[in-house]
Amino acid sequence: MKRTADGFVVAFAPLSGDPPFAPDPVIEAYKKDVDRGLIVENLKLTIDERLRQLVAIQRFAAEVRRAGRAAFGD
Amino acid sequence: MPAAPPSETDFEGLLRALVAASVEFIVIGGVAGKAHGSPRLTVDLDVVYARSDENVRRLTSALAPLEPYLRGAPPGLPFRFDPETVRRGLNFTLRTTRGDLDLLGEVAGGGGYGALLAHSRELEMFGLRCRCLELDKLIEVKRAAGRPKDLEAIAELEAIREERRKRGL
Repeated sequence: MKRTADGFVVAFAPLSGDPPFAPDPVIEAYKKDVDRGLIVENLKLTIDERLRQLVAIQRFAAEVRRAGRAAFGD
Repeated sequence: MPAAPPSETDFEGLLRALVAASVEFIVIGGVAGKAHGSPRLTVDLDVVYARSDENVRRLTSALAPLEPYLRGAPPGLPFRFDPETVRRGLNFTLRTTRGDLDLLGEVAGGGGYGALLAHSRELEMFGLRCRCLELDKLIEVKRAAGRPKDLEAIAELEAIREERRKRGL
């Protein structure tokens, strides 16, 4: 997998030009709360690493649910 | 019907079943978003499948061992996931022994497999070659779905687009 000099993974064809959709004011409002730091870090991961991260988060969430049930019941 | 829903979705297992049977499909939804760099958790696998007779046959054979059943349907409903059922329906939200799987014949804003093919790219996911929807189309499809619950996810995908553009990715 190709990487840029600053460590970003080139996983897809580069995006060019403006997006093929108009800005939506509601989405723009939501965008202000997006954690771009997390996104930037994810762009440095390979696709496989991104998907393995999903599996790990899912496992963690399942374990938290299990622990919650064990401690407090259903 | 699976005896009990699994606590986690085995994305790799679901993809492996489809790829092993040479099913024509495109990954969309949260897993596609994850491949594009989204930090968001998703709990199901969404795929758009080709509606050709041959592909529907492959699809139903591939999933049969995973005991697909309509998600949220009462137990005991006479549901058979066979080519006839798939041909008569279009979109199926399924629970399987490997987790939740949404099989979509068409999506709002994108159409079916044939229409989406040009907007997809083959990627390696869990070591498997799978087609994944490109970011712009993924955003368009999510926008077209018009579901309030998707607003945060769309904002995130558009932010990914902006961060990629900034870096020439």
